[in-house]
Amino acid sequence: MPTEILNQDFENIPTEEEEKAQVKRAKRPIFIFAGIFGGLLVILLAAAIFLGLNQGKNTAQIKSTPTPTPIPEIKEEITAPSPYATDEAVLKMEEEIKNLDQELTSADLKESGLNPPVLEMKIKFEK
Amino acid sequence: MKRYLPAFIFFLFFFLSSFSFIKAQEFNFSRAYNDYLFNYNQYRQSYSEYVATREAYLSYQTLTSKTQALEKTLKMLKDEDEVIRNYLTALRMKAAETTGISNDEQNILYLKLDNEVLWYTQHKESLNSAATLEDLVASGKKIAEKYQTTEILIYQTLGTILSGKETNFRNQLSDKIQQLKGKLGEIRQRGDKDTSLSERWLLEAENRLTRSQEKQFAAQQILAKIKSSDTNKSKSYNQAQFTLEESHQYLKEANSYLKEVLREIKSAD
Repeated sequence: MPTEILNQDFENIPTEEEEKAQVKRAKRPIFIFAGIFGGLLVILLAAAIFLGLNQGKNTAQIKSTPTPTPIPEIKEEITAPSPYATDEAVLKMEEEIKNLDQELTSADLKESGLNPPVLEMKIKFEK
Repeated sequence: MKRYLPAFIFFLFFFLSSFSFIKAQEFNFSRAYNDYLFNYNQYRQSYSEYVATREAYLSYQTLTSKTQALEKTLKMLKDEDEVIRNYLTALRMKAAETTGISNDEQNILYLKLDNEVLWYTQHKESLNSAATLEDLVASGKKIAEKYQTTEILIYQTLGTILSGKETNFRNQLSDKIQQLKGKLGEIRQRGDKDTSLSERWLLEAENRLTRSQEKQFAAQQILAKIKSSDTNKSKSYNQAQFTLEESHQYLKEANSYLKEVLREIKSAD
């Protein structure tokens, strides 16, 4: 039986470190691809968000609202307050009177919605 | 315990839904008013249909046009009854929801309004027996005559509603005057502030309340004088309404005096 000749280059057998480096080298393209893909995704997302926001801004209808007219409220400051300026009962009455004032101003004394219906009472079949 | 949970949830759901159903069925002024508006629109439509069929009948004098005219006139008259009935009901609900109308006044109004509503309900039912156009014309005349007196009740009810509002405001102001009088009495007893000016303004406020009451009484007098023979009842009502606005102006003035009283109380001598 012929003996098997082992043709191995024992000097070139990679060490453990060399093996690890080789694996790393093999995985590098995957990392690069994942990195590029992730980066693109982030850029696309950012672009979509940016465009989406801008679109919203473009389509939003600008409602014309009248500029609020400032109502000048003349408040006479009490320069010399009496001991009753902070009296709880007085302040309560002041608040109630203020509310009553608003109610008096906004009261509907016409009730125009309740005006009698307009009815056509004349029925005739003569020319 | 877990066994009863579905049953409990079911009963809770049933209870809540029945509650909301009852609430939805609640009859108030808003609902009565919407009913009235719906009926009024229906009446306007049936009136225009009546006018069209009437014109067709007067032009062609055919049996078909006569039948159509009869049908549309009947519908229009029924809708007219329904509009007035719904309007009176809305007024009744408004009077019920207005604070400031005394119970006696409310009861009298309810009685009068209910009687009117009954008349229009019966009239609507009686229309079913009308067989000819002449019957319908006679029925239309009946409503027109009745509406003369109904109009008086309408304007008086509207006046009572507006007066009720005024009375409510006046009562509130009167309460505030009493409260301020009490406070001024307290301050006077302590003697740490002069109250003479505040008391004078309080008197002025009371004066305005009296004047407001007088104007309200004058408005009620105007409304009480409306007769069924008056051709322009709305004119009297507008006059009464204007008088009530004057009454309201006095109430506003009274409130301004109260504000001044408070300002005076808060300021040192």
